Amino acid sequence: MTTADPILRLESLSKRFGGLRVIEDLSLAVRRGVRTALIGPNGAGKTTVFNLITGVFAVDAGRIVLDGADITATPSRRRIGHGIARSFQNIRLMPHLSTLENVMVGQHCRNRGLGGVLQPVNLVPHNRWREAARAALADAGLIEHERSTVGSLPYGVQKHIELVRALMAQPRLLLLDEPAAGLNPAETEALQAQLEKICSAGGPTLLLVEHDMHFIGALCEDVIVLDFGRKIAEGSPEDIRQNPLVQETYLGAPAVEPMERHSAARSA
Amino acid sequence: MSGYLEGVLVLLAVNVVFAYGGFLPLAAGQLNLGLAGFAAIGAYASAYLSNVFKLSPLIAIPFAGVVAGAVALIVAVPVLRTRGIYLALATFALGQIVQAIILNLEVVGGAAGYPVAAFIRLPTIAAAAAIVVALVWLLFATRFGIAVTAVHDDEGAADLMGIDVRAFQIAAFALGSAIAGIGGGLYAHHFSFIEAQYFNISLSITIVLYVLLGGTQTVIGPLLGAAVFTLLPEVLRASANWRYAAFAAALIVIMALRPEGLVTGAQLRRLLGSNRAEPRHRAVAAGLPKGGAG
Amino acid sequence: MLGSIYAMVAVALTLSIGVLRFLNFSIPGLFMIGGMVTWALVRGGTPWPLAAGAALIAGALASLVVERFTWRWMRSAQHFVPLVSSMAFLLLFEHLAVIYWGSELRTLPALFGTSDWRVAGLVISLPQLAGLLCSIALIWALTLVLARTRLGRGLRTIAEDSDTALLLGVDINRIVPLVFLISGLFAALAGVIFALNYRQVHPFMGEVVGLKGISAMIVGGMGNVWGSIAGGLIIGLVEVMSIGYFGADFVDIAVYGLLLLILFIRPTGLFAGAIVGQARA
Repeated sequence: MTTADPILRLESLSKRFGGLRVIEDLSLAVRRGVRTALIGPNGAGKTTVFNLITGVFAVDAGRIVLDGADITATPSRRRIGHGIARSFQNIRLMPHLSTLENVMVGQHCRNRGLGGVLQPVNLVPHNRWREAARAALADAGLIEHERSTVGSLPYGVQKHIELVRALMAQPRLLLLDEPAAGLNPAETEALQAQLEKICSAGGPTLLLVEHDMHFIGALCEDVIVLDFGRKIAEGSPEDIRQNPLVQETYLGAPAVEPMERHSAARSA
Repeated sequence: MSGYLEGVLVLLAVNVVFAYGGFLPLAAGQLNLGLAGFAAIGAYASAYLSNVFKLSPLIAIPFAGVVAGAVALIVAVPVLRTRGIYLALATFALGQIVQAIILNLEVVGGAAGYPVAAFIRLPTIAAAAAIVVALVWLLFATRFGIAVTAVHDDEGAADLMGIDVRAFQIAAFALGSAIAGIGGGLYAHHFSFIEAQYFNISLSITIVLYVLLGGTQTVIGPLLGAAVFTLLPEVLRASANWRYAAFAAALIVIMALRPEGLVTGAQLRRLLGSNRAEPRHRAVAAGLPKGGAG
Repeated sequence: MLGSIYAMVAVALTLSIGVLRFLNFSIPGLFMIGGMVTWALVRGGTPWPLAAGAALIAGALASLVVERFTWRWMRSAQHFVPLVSSMAFLLLFEHLAVIYWGSELRTLPALFGTSDWRVAGLVISLPQLAGLLCSIALIWALTLVLARTRLGRGLRTIAEDSDTALLLGVDINRIVPLVFLISGLFAALAGVIFALNYRQVHPFMGEVVGLKGISAMIVGGMGNVWGSIAGGLIIGLVEVMSIGYFGADFVDIAVYGLLLLILFIRPTGLFAGAIVGQARA
C-alpha cells in the first residue's frame, strides 16, 4: 500500500546556535505516504528540524534531500515551490488579510511569475484562484468565515485555516507543528479524521510534531523520537510506547490526559 | 468655477497623488521619509523637460515619474537591506541629500528656485489623480495586494509561503517613489515655480501623517486622509499655520485612540460584504483554551 | 563647536532609543523650543541666565507632553506609531512657533561682548568655549549617572530587557518620564547654547540643526552615549571640512551622505556597544 522510498531524507544534519548544539548529526527518513510523527521532550530540537527543512535556518552540516533533490542550499522562499508546506506552532496568519485572502497566500507559490502576481484575483467575480480558495474553505466547513478578520476567530478555527492555507500550495510534504495543541477533544478528533483523509494515498505525506500520544497513536504509522538533537528511537507508535529508553527520556506516557500534556510539555 | 475653489481642488488632487506615493511603501511595512525628495526629482525633471526640451507636460510628467522610480530602484537595493528604524532613517537621509543636491544645481535655479513655463489646469490634474488612484486600486486588487499585505504583516511567514519579500518591498518602494514624482510634476506645472526648500522633511512627514490618518489597510484610506487634510481646514477657514498645527494635534490624538486610521480593512469588508454571506457569529475565544502556543 | 551641540542632541536621541527603543522625532522640536524661548525672553529684557532656565523648563514640559501622548498610550499598537506621533509633535511645535512668533529668522543681541581669546594664532570665542565645556560637562555627568547611580542602573536594565527590568522591580512607569525629561533637557539646552552662541533662531531651526543630531547619533552608534559625543564631533568636523574643500553648499550633502554610508555599511554605528543599551531595529 505504501511505497517504501523516502520522500524526505535528512543526512547528518547539524545546527548550533552560538555555543549550543541544537541538532547533532541527525539522520532520518520520512517514507512516502507514511504518516510520521516527530516527538521528544522540550528542547529536543523538533521545531528546529522543521525550521531547517523549510529553510528558516541554514544547516551547519549535512544534507536535506526532498524526493531525491538536494535542497540544502535552496533559499527558504523556494522550498514551498518544491513541495514543502507547513503550519506554525504559534499561528502565523496575516492579521490584515481576510480568511479567504490568507488562504490565497498559500496559492502564491503556484502563481509566482509577473502574470501570476498581476492576476486580478480580487477584482473579477469568478477568478479561478479565488474560487479554488473558496472551494477549499467550503470543503473544510469554514466558508462562513471567508470575509472575517482572522484575529477575531476562535483558536481552533485559526489553526484550521492555517492548515487549509498550507494545503493550497498542493505540497508533497506537509509539516504540521503541534496541530492538536489547544484543541478540545472534539476538535482533535475532527482534525484526526481530516488528516487521515487528506494524507492518504495520492495526497501529501504528513510529518508532524506533536505531544499528544493518543492523537499520534491513532493517526501515525511511524514515530521518530528526538532527544538533544539526536534520533534516539524510531518505530510504530506501539513500539515507541513500549520502548524503555523513550519512556525514560520522555514522560509522555499514554495514561496522561491530553489537557495535562498540553500544559506540561512545550516543544523546542 | 471660482479661482479659489479651483486652487483647493488642485491642491486636493496633488495631495491625493502624494498620498498614494506614501501609501505604497507603507502598505509593505516601510516608512519612506524621503518622499519629498522623490517628489522633488519628479518636479524638477519634468520642469526641466518641459522648459528646455519643450515637451508637453503630459509627456514630461509621466517621464519624470519614471525617473523618480528609477532612482528609487537604484537606491532601493542597499536601502532596503536596512530594516525598520534604519530604513526610515536611510530614506530620511536620502530625502535630505536630494534636497541638498538640487539646491546646488544651478542649471535648475539652485537656491533661487526654478520657474516653470508650461501650465496645466484642474481638469488635467484631476484626471491624473484619478488615474493614479484607479491604477493603485487595480494593482491592489491583484495578487500583488495580497502579497504586499502579507509582507507587511509577517515577513517570515510570507517568505515561507513563497513570497519574494525583497522583490515586493523594492517594487512598493519604487512605485511609491514614482507616484510621488508624478505628484511633484503636477505641482510644478500648476504652481509655475518650484524651489528645493519646499521639498523638505516637513513635507515628507506631512504626507506620511495624512496617509496614516486615512489608514493604510485599505486602498481608499489615503484618499480619505488627503481629503481630510486638504478640505477640512478650508471648511474651517483655517490659516496655513493653524492648519498644520491642528492637523498635527489631531493626528496625535488619533494615533492614541485609533492607530489604524480612519478606515480599517475589517470595516471596509463589512461595508462591502453586507450583501454576501455574513458570518452568523463573531465567536469570542473565551470558552476555548488558547493552548500552549502563542 | 557646533559638534558639541550636535552631540547633545545626539545624546538626547540616543537616550530615547537606547532605553525605550523609540526614535523621538520631536527632539529637534525641543531644540527649537529651547532656542526660541531663550530669544523671546531675552528680547523682552530678561537676563540671559533666567531666560535660559525658563527655556529649559519649557523644553522639559514639552517633552513630558510628548511622553504622555506618544509613549504612554501607544506601546501596544503598530510598531511605528510612537515614531509617527513624535513626528506630528515636531510639526505641531514648529507651526505653533510660527503662529506665535512668526516665521522670520530672529537674532539675539550680543550678550557677551567680544570676549575672545587669542591663543597661538587661534581665535577662540569665550561663549563658544563655555558652551562647549558646558556640553561636555553635562554629557559626562550623564554617563556618570548612568554608570553609578540607581537611576542609571535602572535605565540600563530597561535598555537591556524591559521585561526583566519589571521583574527586577524597576519602576518603569516612573523611569520612562525621566528619560523623556532628561532627553528633553539636553535637547533644549543644546538649543539654548546655540541661541546664545550663534545668536540666530527661527521656528524651523530644528530641521536645520537638530536633524543633524540624528546623523551624529547614528554615526556614533545608536544607544551609545559616548558614541553620540564622538558622532557629534565627527559631524561637526565633516561640516567644517566640507565647507573648506567644497564650499558651504555642500555641507548637507556631506553630512547626510555620511549618514547614508554608515547606514549601509555599519548601521550600528562606529562605536557600537552601549553604555545605555543596544538598539535593535
